[in-house]
Amino acid sequence: MRDLKHLIYFDNLLQEANNELVRQAKEDGKIIAGYTCYHMPEVLLDLPGCVGVRLRAPLCTSPDIATYYMSGRTCHYGRSLLERALEGGYNFLDVQFATETCTVTTRFQEHLQMMDVIDNPVFFCEFTDVPFKKTANSIDHYKRQLEGHVLKPLSEKFGIDTSDKALLAAIEEHNEVCRLVTEIGDYRKLENPTITGYEFSIIMLVTLVCPKYLILPKLRETAKEMKTRKPDAKPNFRCKVLLAGSENDDPDFIKLIESCGALVVADRFCYGSIPGREEIEIKEGESPIEAIARHYLETGHCPRFMGQNEMRERKKYLADVAKEYNADGIIVESNKFCEYWSYERTIDSIVLPRDFGYPVCSIEKEYINTASGQLRTRFQAFVESIEIKHIQEGK
Amino acid sequence: MKKDIKKKLKDFWYGKPHKERRLGDLYIDKTGLYKHREWRGVKDTFYYFHMIWLYNYANLVVDVMKNGGLFVFAKGVWRYRWVGQTYITVMHWFDRGHEGMRGEALRATAWHYRAMTNETIRQFMRMFRADTKLNKGKQNEIYKKTMSHDETVCGAIFYPWRDKIDNVALQMIPYFVTCHVNCQTVLNYIDAVQSIGLPADPCPMCQAEAGIYVLDDYPDYSPAFVASNEACDGSVGTGILQDWFMNKPYFSMPQPMQFDDPLVHKHTMAEIEEAWKFIEEHMGIPFDWDQYVKYTEKFNKLTEFEWEKWDVAANTPYYPINGVAQALYRIYYSQDGYRDIWAQTDEKVRKIMHRCVENKIETFPETRHRLLAWSCAPLYYSFWTTWAYNCWGLNTVMNMDSLMFDMVLRTDTYENALDDLARYHEWAPMRRMAVGGYKHVFELWEYMKRFNCDMVMMYDQLACKGMQGIHGMFEDEFRERNIHAIWMPHALPESRTVSRAEIRRIINDYMFTVMQEEPLDPSLLDFDDSLSW
Repeated sequence: MRDLKHLIYFDNLLQEANNELVRQAKEDGKIIAGYTCYHMPEVLLDLPGCVGVRLRAPLCTSPDIATYYMSGRTCHYGRSLLERALEGGYNFLDVQFATETCTVTTRFQEHLQMMDVIDNPVFFCEFTDVPFKKTANSIDHYKRQLEGHVLKPLSEKFGIDTSDKALLAAIEEHNEVCRLVTEIGDYRKLENPTITGYEFSIIMLVTLVCPKYLILPKLRETAKEMKTRKPDAKPNFRCKVLLAGSENDDPDFIKLIESCGALVVADRFCYGSIPGREEIEIKEGESPIEAIARHYLETGHCPRFMGQNEMRERKKYLADVAKEYNADGIIVESNKFCEYWSYERTIDSIVLPRDFGYPVCSIEKEYINTASGQLRTRFQAFVESIEIKHIQEGK
Repeated sequence: MKKDIKKKLKDFWYGKPHKERRLGDLYIDKTGLYKHREWRGVKDTFYYFHMIWLYNYANLVVDVMKNGGLFVFAKGVWRYRWVGQTYITVMHWFDRGHEGMRGEALRATAWHYRAMTNETIRQFMRMFRADTKLNKGKQNEIYKKTMSHDETVCGAIFYPWRDKIDNVALQMIPYFVTCHVNCQTVLNYIDAVQSIGLPADPCPMCQAEAGIYVLDDYPDYSPAFVASNEACDGSVGTGILQDWFMNKPYFSMPQPMQFDDPLVHKHTMAEIEEAWKFIEEHMGIPFDWDQYVKYTEKFNKLTEFEWEKWDVAANTPYYPINGVAQALYRIYYSQDGYRDIWAQTDEKVRKIMHRCVENKIETFPETRHRLLAWSCAPLYYSFWTTWAYNCWGLNTVMNMDSLMFDMVLRTDTYENALDDLARYHEWAPMRRMAVGGYKHVFELWEYMKRFNCDMVMMYDQLACKGMQGIHGMFEDEFRERNIHAIWMPHALPESRTVSRAEIRRIINDYMFTVMQEEPLDPSLLDFDDSLSW
C-alpha cells in the first residue's frame, strides 16, 4: 500500500509527551491537562481554553529512580510515567486529572502530589473517584465527581468556561474526532484491509496525546486519503487478530505482531479505540455532563468493573468485536504486574475458545518490549495454529 | 553447690529467667515441633497444660458437638482439605504463639486464641451444615438462612437480619485462618490457580482465594453472595473468577478509593442500601432496624474495651496481650461483627488487664524496643512477634490492622447509622491504610507517637502493588525522621517466597549491624523450621 501522507508526521508526534503540537497549544495560551485513564473523560479536558494530553513515556526503558520509589514489582507503565516526570518530561502540565482506577497509576499520580516533581508553579493534581459498577447510583456518583473534581477546578483555578454551551462545543469537537477515527478504523473490517493495525494505532494515539483542534485538519485529510487507498494486490498477512488487554501505547508492539503475519484489525486495550472512539450521544432530558458520565461508564469495558453483568458481558463483547472485525483469533495481553488484566486474561483464555470458538494467544509483556524475540516466537506459533485450524476446517 | 541447688529450685518453681531459657534448643530440627514442652515454672506450666492445652483440646471437640456434631464435621474433613490439614495443627499454633510467655500475659493472650478458635469452628460448622456439596445437592433450611460474603464485607452489614439468618464470610476460614494455623495448606491453591494461566505476580492472597475455586474446595452454603473489591486490584480480579465458578446471584459492594471525599461517602451509603435491598430480595426477609441497633450497640462495647486496651498498651508497660493475639483477635472480631464469644472474652481479659495495671505487673519485662508493625502482615508467620520478643526483646505493641476501625457506630437515627456504617466499610482492612491513599498510609508517624514506639516493623508484602508503589517514600521519610525501621519482606500466605528463617535472618542482621545489640536468647537466632506447620 502507498504510505499515508501524514504517518511519519504522526509518528514523530509520538516520540515525546511534550510534542510539537502540545508546545504550540501552550503557546496559544491553552491550559494543558494530563490524565492516564479512559475514565477521565478526555472531552472535559478539551473544553475551550484547555487541552487534554493522555500521558505516555515513550522510549523509557529503564525507570531507575522510579523503581526506587515504586519498587521493581509494580507495573512498568506506572514506573515509566514517574521516571519521565522525575526527568522533567511533564513540566508542561498545568494540572493532572487523576483517577484512582488502578493501583500503580494511582501511586504514580500520588507522587505528583507528594513530591515537587512538576516544575510549574500552578500545577496541581486532582483525584476523581470512578465507580466500579454501571448502575444508576454509580452514574450519578460519577457525574458528581466530574463536576466536583474536574469542572470545578478548571473553572475556579483557570477560569475555563464549563457551562453547558462550552461542554456542547467540546462534545461536538470530540465527536468529530471519534467519527474520523471510526471511519478510518472501519477499513480494518474489509476482507483485505486498507490500513494496518500499526498505522491505525499511530493515528489513534495522536488523537489522545495531541490537542484535538490542531490534529483535526490532518485527521480529516487522512480520512479523505483513506477513501481512495488501494490495498496490496496480494494480502501480506496470514490471519487477522483482535488485540485485547491492558495498557498499550506502543505501536511497535503491534508492528511486532504484524511482522509475524497477524494483522491487528481491532484494538480493545487501554489507549485503543474499542472502546474509546464512540460518539457521545445526549439523550432527551440529559444535561451534557450527565451524558458524558453515562457514556464513559457505559462504554468502559475495563476489568475493574465488578458488577455481575459487567463481568460476564465483557467476554461476549470481545467475541462480538472479533466477529465484527472478522478476526480469526484473539491475542490477550497484559502488562506484567497488572492485576486486573492478569485475571481477565486468564479467564478470557479459557472462556473465549470454549464458549465462542476463538483461539486465544495469552501473553504477558512489559510497557516497552525488550523481550521481542520471545514474543515473536509466541505470535508465530499462534499464527501457525490458526492456519492449521483453517486447513482443518477446509478454508 | 548450695547456691546451685537454690538456683535450680528457683528455676523449677518460677521457670528460668528470660536470658537462660534457650527456647531454640526445644525444637526438633526442621519440624518446629518440640522435643519436650517448655518448663515455665510450676504455676505457669500447670496453667498452660490445663487451662490452655487441655482446655482448648477439649473445646475443639465440644465446639464441634455444639455446632452440628461429629458426623457433619467428619464429612467436612473428608471433603475439604483446608479443614483436615489445619484442625490437628491448632494446638501447635497455640504453642508457637505462646512461647516463653508467663503470668498474666500468658493468660490474657490465650483467651484471645480460644475465642478465635471457637468462632472459627462455629463458622465452618455452619458452612458444612448448609453445604449442598455435603448434603447431596440439597438446599436445606440452613442453606436458605445463610448469607455468604467476601471476608472484607463487615459482619455489621448483616445485623438487620441477625435474628433470622446468619452470615459467614466465604474466605475467612478456608483461606485466611488456615494459613495462620498451617502455612503449607494454601500453597496447593496458589499452584492450582497458576495452573490455569494466572501469572505468579498478583497478590498471593487473591491467588489462594481463587485457587480454592479451581480445586472446587469452597462449600456451597448460601443462595446469594455479597462481594467487595477487598480493597485492591487483585481482589477485583479474583471476583471475576469467583463469579464464574460460583454462578449465583452476586452483589458487588465496592469499598471506594477516595473515601475522604464527602461525595464518595454518600455513594458508599447508597451502595450499602443497595446491598440491603439485595439481601432482602434474595433471603425474603425484611430489613429490621431494631436488630441492627441491638447488635451495633453490643459491638460498640467491644470497641470501647479496645480503646481501653490501647490506652494501657500506649501508656504503660502492663499490657498483657502479645503482638500476635492483638493483631489477629482485633481484625477477626472487627470484621466478623458482634458475637457473644468476643464479649465473653473481653470480660475475662478486662479482669486480667485491670489486675496488671492495679498491681503494676510488667507483662513483657525484657522489652528493649517498642514496635509498631505497619502494612500487611505475613499470614504464615504472624507469631514472629513472639519470636522477636523472646530473641531480641522487640515488643510489638500495636499493628496497623488493629487501628483501622477506630470508631463507635451511632444508632440514634437511621441516617447517622448509615453514615457511620459507610465509614466503617470504607475503613476495611487494607483499604484505609494500605491502598487507601498515601495520607492514610503515613498515619504511621502519629501512631508511633501515640503508642510510644521507637521502632517500626515495616511489612514488605512483595506482591502488594499499593504498598510497593510507595516504598521509596517510606524510605525517604524513615531517613528524614531518623526512625529505625526493619523491612520484613513476605508474600502474605505464600511461605515459599520468603521463608520464616529468612525473616528471622533479616531481623537478626538489623539488630546486630544497625542496632549493635546482642540477643536475649541466642538459641533462637537460627534454626530450621522449614517443614513446620
